[in-house]
Amino acid sequence: MEVDTIAAPATPPGRGALAVVRVSGPGALSVLRSVAPKVGGSAGDPSPTARMAVLAELKDPRDQRLLDRGLVTFFPGPASYTGEDLVEFSVHGSPLLVSMLMDALVWAGARRAEAGEFTRRAYLNGKLDLVRAEAVADLIDAESPAAHGVAVHQVEGGLSLRIARLRSRLVDLEALVMHHVDFPDEDDPPVPISDVVAVAQELEGELAELLASAPEGELLREGALVVLAGRPNAGKSSLYNALIGEERAIVTDEAGTTRDALEARVSLGGYPFRMVDTAGLRGEAVGVEKLGIEVAERYLERADVILLCFAAHRGWGEEEEIFLGRWSGRVPVIPVRTQIDRPEAGRDGARITDEVALSVRSGEGLGEVRERLSELVYAGLATSGIETPVLTRRRQRLAVEEARDRVGEFCRALGRGVPAEAAVLEVRDAEAALGDLVGGVTTEDVLDRVFRQFCIGK
Amino acid sequence: MELGFDVVVVGGGHAGIEAASASARLGCRTLLITPDLDRIGQMSCNPAIGGLAKGVVAREVDALGGVMGRATDASRIHFKMLNRSRGPAVWGPRAQCDRGLYARAVRRILDELPRLEILQGMVTGLRIEEGQVRGVITREGEVVAAGRVIVTTGTFLRGRIHRGARMGTVPAGRDGEAPSVELAEVLEELGLEMDRFKTGTPPRVDGRTVDFSRLERQDGEEGDFRFSGLVEERIPPQLPCWITWTGDGLKGLVQENLERSAIYGGALAGKGPRYCPSIEDKIVRFPDNPRHQVFLEPEGLHSRELYVNGLSTSLPPEVQRAFLRTIPGLERVRVTRLGYAIEYDYFPPHQLRHTLEVRGMEGLYFAGQINGTTGYEEAAGQGIVAGFNAALASQGREPFLLERDEAYLGVLVDDLVTKGVDEPYRLFTSRAEFRLLLRQDNAVERLGPKARDLGALGEREMSALEAGLAERAAVSLWLDESRFAPEEVNALLEEWGSTPISASLSGRELALRPEVKVEALGELCQDAPDLTGEAAMAVTVALRYGGYVQREKARAEKLRQEAEFRLGEDLPYREFETLSWEARVKLSKVRPAHLAQAGRIPGVSPSDLQNLILEVRRYRGSRVAKGSRV
Ligand SMILES: Cc1cc2nc3c(=O)[nH]c(=O)nc-3n(C[C@H](O)[C@H](O)[C@H](O)COP(=O)(O)OP(=O)(O)OC[C@H]3O[C@@H](n4cnc5c(N)ncnc54)[C@H](O)[C@@H]3O)c2cc1C
Ligand SMILES: Nc1nc2c(ncn2[C@@H]2O[C@H](COP(=O)(O)OP(=O)(O)O)[C@@H](O)[C@H]2O)c(=O)[nH]1
Repeated sequence: MEVDTIAAPATPPGRGALAVVRVSGPGALSVLRSVAPKVGGSAGDPSPTARMAVLAELKDPRDQRLLDRGLVTFFPGPASYTGEDLVEFSVHGSPLLVSMLMDALVWAGARRAEAGEFTRRAYLNGKLDLVRAEAVADLIDAESPAAHGVAVHQVEGGLSLRIARLRSRLVDLEALVMHHVDFPDEDDPPVPISDVVAVAQELEGELAELLASAPEGELLREGALVVLAGRPNAGKSSLYNALIGEERAIVTDEAGTTRDALEARVSLGGYPFRMVDTAGLRGEAVGVEKLGIEVAERYLERADVILLCFAAHRGWGEEEEIFLGRWSGRVPVIPVRTQIDRPEAGRDGARITDEVALSVRSGEGLGEVRERLSELVYAGLATSGIETPVLTRRRQRLAVEEARDRVGEFCRALGRGVPAEAAVLEVRDAEAALGDLVGGVTTEDVLDRVFRQFCIGK
Repeated sequence: MELGFDVVVVGGGHAGIEAASASARLGCRTLLITPDLDRIGQMSCNPAIGGLAKGVVAREVDALGGVMGRATDASRIHFKMLNRSRGPAVWGPRAQCDRGLYARAVRRILDELPRLEILQGMVTGLRIEEGQVRGVITREGEVVAAGRVIVTTGTFLRGRIHRGARMGTVPAGRDGEAPSVELAEVLEELGLEMDRFKTGTPPRVDGRTVDFSRLERQDGEEGDFRFSGLVEERIPPQLPCWITWTGDGLKGLVQENLERSAIYGGALAGKGPRYCPSIEDKIVRFPDNPRHQVFLEPEGLHSRELYVNGLSTSLPPEVQRAFLRTIPGLERVRVTRLGYAIEYDYFPPHQLRHTLEVRGMEGLYFAGQINGTTGYEEAAGQGIVAGFNAALASQGREPFLLERDEAYLGVLVDDLVTKGVDEPYRLFTSRAEFRLLLRQDNAVERLGPKARDLGALGEREMSALEAGLAERAAVSLWLDESRFAPEEVNALLEEWGSTPISASLSGRELALRPEVKVEALGELCQDAPDLTGEAAMAVTVALRYGGYVQREKARAEKLRQEAEFRLGEDLPYREFETLSWEARVKLSKVRPAHLAQAGRIPGVSPSDLQNLILEVRRYRGSRVAKGSRV
């Protein structure tokens, strides 16, 4: 398992003004010397100045053919992104040039990196904790401003910091308990158990608060699933096209997941959604128990929000009422009155509670639908702002959930009269759960706190 | 004629005593050599044994057949079970001892051992042959040959004591005793890493000049609690302790004179223990605390001297006298011995194996304060571990190792060799992750059988052990087999505020309820065993922690599995490039014995451990392929 040297383009494939290629590993410097002898110097010479971009001729080491003139920066480990020696080539953004440069680097001793390998090395070398490493991946995948914003803050350590702080408060709590146990006769007044409980309850509350961000946070990565329902000709396809069309969303047809329906990822009001078009389902036995309501049934259970379309000129009927009754308890349903531009629409029909009225022809009401969708699904994020750390992964949620449950159990155990030195096992488990996300706790940490906070004599 | 022994122990402090006894009990010809035979077992500081965690250690030492528990029982003049208001897992027995009686008891107990010889002398050199320690050399130039040498010289290595910032610095190992300078130099020349620590002690005062009417009297606990579960000593009569408080007068004096303190005036550089702060530290660190508690503790049955617990100091004599007199009850007090600070050499313990043998220097062992610890119990515990291991090695037997879930001694030794120390190390309940398993009431059960299997117990101790274990088994059996009908116990249950039962239950089921008094249940039965003693307590305590004890056991089990992944001493950690740099450096320094220990080294992360497993497998694979032995 020797560590080798890896290389990969850091910018996406395709034409652009610039392309960046990175090389990381113990051989980074020797690779650099092969393609840019002037900068790298020969073996034995001093290495290039750290972290300073230098203009250099890049040559194919096989025939000394000039590939490009580009900027070269050397980041010696461990003070680099990966923690290893790292070289960055900034060249003109031509796919052909990038592939020739890659060939040259591989010839010089580098290996083509696998997806995520740079970040993986950064993680293994302790440059990033797991939460931050994951956020890097999220950042790269982000398709909406909100997802991007949250990922940026997590890469910066926003979530790590929040979790680390919570963990640190758990360590404080353990220190408080251990002070209660280890130093009962000291000249500092002993810690009453009621204080311990109060601190624990407060922590439980904060863990629960962070946890509350998880549903939205996870949606932020996936995109909230919007399902369109309505009788034939209610205007579902038209609305689908209108919503994705205006946003120029990328329409994917991912194998496996949406073979039968088109799923589009789209950013509405800055937040990510996935919209499912039912068009592909026509002819299949759609319709919920012959209600005459068309819907991508297999998506219904997973929907984060349902748009129940009804044409203005046909009006709201019994079918819609039954559908609403059945689903509104489980998933938010927005009644959408469509096609209001049609002359026969009639503006006087009774309004349905919380309905949105719109026309894809005139564009009226489309803005309101977008707004209502993001408000409904991302209410928490919208009020707290994207700088607030949120949990965006199942793993994070499970860990924080575990921590909250353990702290809750700690309080209940004390309430049942379990001695503090036993109940504190729960606090340790809670620390361990968060520690899995942001690094471990040692008993030294606990003792440190004990000594810092309390006046301990002999 | 050249003197020759299997094991030589250098130093007659608490580590040396236990090391010598342990080695002799295993049948090795053992010599204890120390500069003043009348000071064997001297308590340098407060004549008190035990406390939280430390009390458990004292009982562990006893369960292994050691001296400390018996000597404490034979000399204690004030006893308290600390932490009674907490759960029984964290109770800590603490005894104030008569200094003289303690030392006499130690000598008497050592003299029971036919394989042990004692010699007055100062060791100034080591005899080393081919990289192995082969004996010691005394100041008189006498060579004592030995296969194994255990150094337990406490605070004596280049010790200097301080009273005041400029004047009052004297070379000394303890007040009035010469330091050990040559030996320190010899050890340093071996290439061992060395550092300096400091600690302090408070003044003692003449009890005839104390106004006891102004003090709060504190009586010890009645009853005949014993540290020793193996040998019954006679407990002396008991004396009270006294409590008073420092106030503004003392605070002002200390603040005004801070510059004149050895520690704050800069005369002293070594690091001191945070948990045992001097009065200077307390005033500086907690200026808002209006008062600090002071315990006046008797130094002995026939002495009127009192130990002023809580006022350790390195201030000059006149300031010590002045600040004492600001304390209620001490207005006219006379000082008998001044407080002082002491600094000394220690050898960072990451240089040791779990046997306490110095890595790379076969036959040389360190135990006690020389390893950067503080406290009699910590010293004694290491002494016994080093003593057993030196003896076992000289007999060509397997080493004696305790895991972290088996004893505080296991925690102590593992912490020392794995984490090293950056301040004088003392045990705390919080250092043990399996504290519900490591109780004072089950020390005999945990460690007695191990001592028996080693052959470290005499006949008297063996039969006491068997009796104790049988008693526990009897209690456990009775709890299972006894049955109580509602009409028998409901009245009692009501009295204890416990829910009445509707169908009959076993003793065990009832004992699970914390409010139930097991000995009262016993009175309802003809055939009940003794339920008032320690056996019953140990059984019911384990019962009442119930699920939590099980959880600790499960964790301990997990740790054991990791401990089965052995690492060996020869691994080229620096070449394991998938590990973080810090992990490589720390691993090569500590050279852990197994994966579980590696995981406890600060700076080694879980992902490092993952990669370590892979690296080790690969490394061993390649070695095997090359045909060499791994
Ligand atoms: C001033 C002071 C204050 C202390 N305060 C505290 C405290 O507040 N709390 C606490 O828990 N502990 C305290 N201690 C520590 C406690 O006394 C020690 O931790 C404990 O006694 C250490 O035991 P030991 O066996 O390692 O060494 P010691 O008890 O110091 O015994 C060392 C022995 O080695 C002998 N020796 C030394 N050099 C040689 C040589 N070259 N050849 C032969 N024999 C030699 C000495 O004569 C002595 O008998 C204090 C100690 C001192 C000196
Ligand atoms: N005038 C007008 N016609 C619409 C509007 N939306 C849909 N339609 C028409 O209504 C019919 C049914 O629409 P479609 O989107 O296919 O309905 P679906 O069956 O629910 O998917 C089509 O002929 C559309 O052109 C609208 O906003 N205004």
